[in-house]
Amino acid sequence: MRETAAKDILRACLATLAAVLVYSVAGASGPRLLVVFNAFSVVVLYFSARRGEVFGAVLGTLCGLAQDTYSMGVFGVAGLTKTLLGFWTGYISRRIDVAPLARNALFLLVMAFLEMALWVAVTAVVRLETVNWHGGLILLQPAVTAGAAGLLAAAGRRVAARRARGA
Amino acid sequence: MALGEKRRSALVLAGLALFHVVLISVQVPQGAETSVFERAVFFVTSPVQRLGAAAVSGAVSVWRGYFDLRRVRGENAALKRENFFLRQDLRFLEDRLALFRSEAEIEALLKDFRGTVLPARVIGVDSVNPYQSIVIDKGRLDGVAKDMAVCDMTGALVGRTIEPVSLKEAMVQLVTDKDSSVGVVSAAARLTGSLAGRSGPRCELRYVLASAGGGEAGEELLTTGTDRIYPAGIRVGRIVGIEPNAASPIFRRIVVEPSFRFNTLDIVAVLAAGPGDGR
Repeated sequence: MRETAAKDILRACLATLAAVLVYSVAGASGPRLLVVFNAFSVVVLYFSARRGEVFGAVLGTLCGLAQDTYSMGVFGVAGLTKTLLGFWTGYISRRIDVAPLARNALFLLVMAFLEMALWVAVTAVVRLETVNWHGGLILLQPAVTAGAAGLLAAAGRRVAARRARGA
Repeated sequence: MALGEKRRSALVLAGLALFHVVLISVQVPQGAETSVFERAVFFVTSPVQRLGAAAVSGAVSVWRGYFDLRRVRGENAALKRENFFLRQDLRFLEDRLALFRSEAEIEALLKDFRGTVLPARVIGVDSVNPYQSIVIDKGRLDGVAKDMAVCDMTGALVGRTIEPVSLKEAMVQLVTDKDSSVGVVSAAARLTGSLAGRSGPRCELRYVLASAGGGEAGEELLTTGTDRIYPAGIRVGRIVGIEPNAASPIFRRIVVEPSFRFNTLDIVAVLAAGPGDGR
C-alpha cells in the first residue's frame, strides 16, 4: 500500500512536470490548443479519482500554483479552483462507483465544468472583470480535458488489468 | 470512512482553501504587481520549464538535423536567393545612409545597435491565456531587466519584459494582453493612439478621435517611442477594421492585427536599451 502511494506521488510529480512541458512546447505553436485543453486539470482529475480527496487537494494546490506561475492572472486563483477540484473529485469517486467508462466520462465532464464555473466566478470577483471566452472556444475546454482524463484512466485500468493477469 | 479520517480530510481542505484565500487577498490591492512569493515560485520552477523546453528542442533538432532532411536542398536554394536580395537591399540602404552620415558615424551606429539586441528562445506560454505572456530563456545574468522591448525574428513588436525576471528567465507581456498599452502612430495618415490588447488574437487602437480623418484598413502601425519603453519606428500591427465606437462616440473603434505570428514565435530579440539611448 505504502509502495503504491509512493509510486503514485512520483507519477503525479512527473505528470505535473509533463503538464508544464505541454505549455512550453504546444503553446508557442498553437495558442488555441491551450485554450481548449488544460493539462493541469487532466493531472488533477486522473490522480484525485485514483487516490482520494486528500491527495487530490494537495496535488490540486501544486498543479494550480504551477499554472498560476506561468500566467499573468492573480496568483492563487487556479490554485484555489484546482484544490477544490481535486478534493471533490477524490471525495465523490470514493463514494460512488465511477469506474465504468460512460459513468467515468460523465463524472469527469461534470467536475471539469464545475471547475471552469468556479474559475470564472473567482476571476470575476478577484479581478472585477469578465473572462475572455475566446469566441466560445473556451467552452470546449471541460469536454476536451475530461476526455483526456477519461482516456488516461481507461488506459491506466487496462495496464493494471494486464499486469494482474501476468502476475 | 472513519470519523478521524473525515476530520483529517476536512482539515486539509480548510487549510489549503484558507491558504489560497489569504494568498489572493494579499495580492488583490497590488493589481498587476507580482508578489515576492510569486517571484520565488517562478525562480524555482522556471529552470524546470527551461530544461524541458531544451530537451524537446534538442530532440526535434536531432530529428531535423540528421534524419528529416527532405526539402533541405530546395530550402537552401531559396535561402541563398533571398540572401542575395537582402544583401542588395542592405547595400542600397547603406548607400542611401552614407549620403547623410559619415562612415565612422554609421559604423558606430550599427555597432551600438547590434550590442543592444539580445536573442532569446521562448520556453513557455501563459498557462491561462496564451495571448497574455510568454517566458524567455534570458534573465538578469544576461542583462535583461523589466520594461525592455521584445521583437520577433522579422523585427515586429512582440511585447515587453515584465516582473518576474529571474537570473536566467524572464516573463514577457505580449502586445495582445488586455493590460498592455503601446503608443503607436499609423504610417500614412499619422493617426496617433494607444494600442491595447484584448487577450485574443487581435488588438484595438484606442483614443483616436472620431473627428480625426484618415486611417484605412491595411495601414501599418509603428511605435512612437513616447511611452519610454518601446523604441520609435517598430512595426506593431496593421489596421483591419474601423467602426464607430458605441460605448464612447467621440472615439473611433479601430481593430488591429498584430504583426508578430504565434507560430513563428520561437526566437525573439530583446532590445536591451531604451528608446532614449541614442537609437
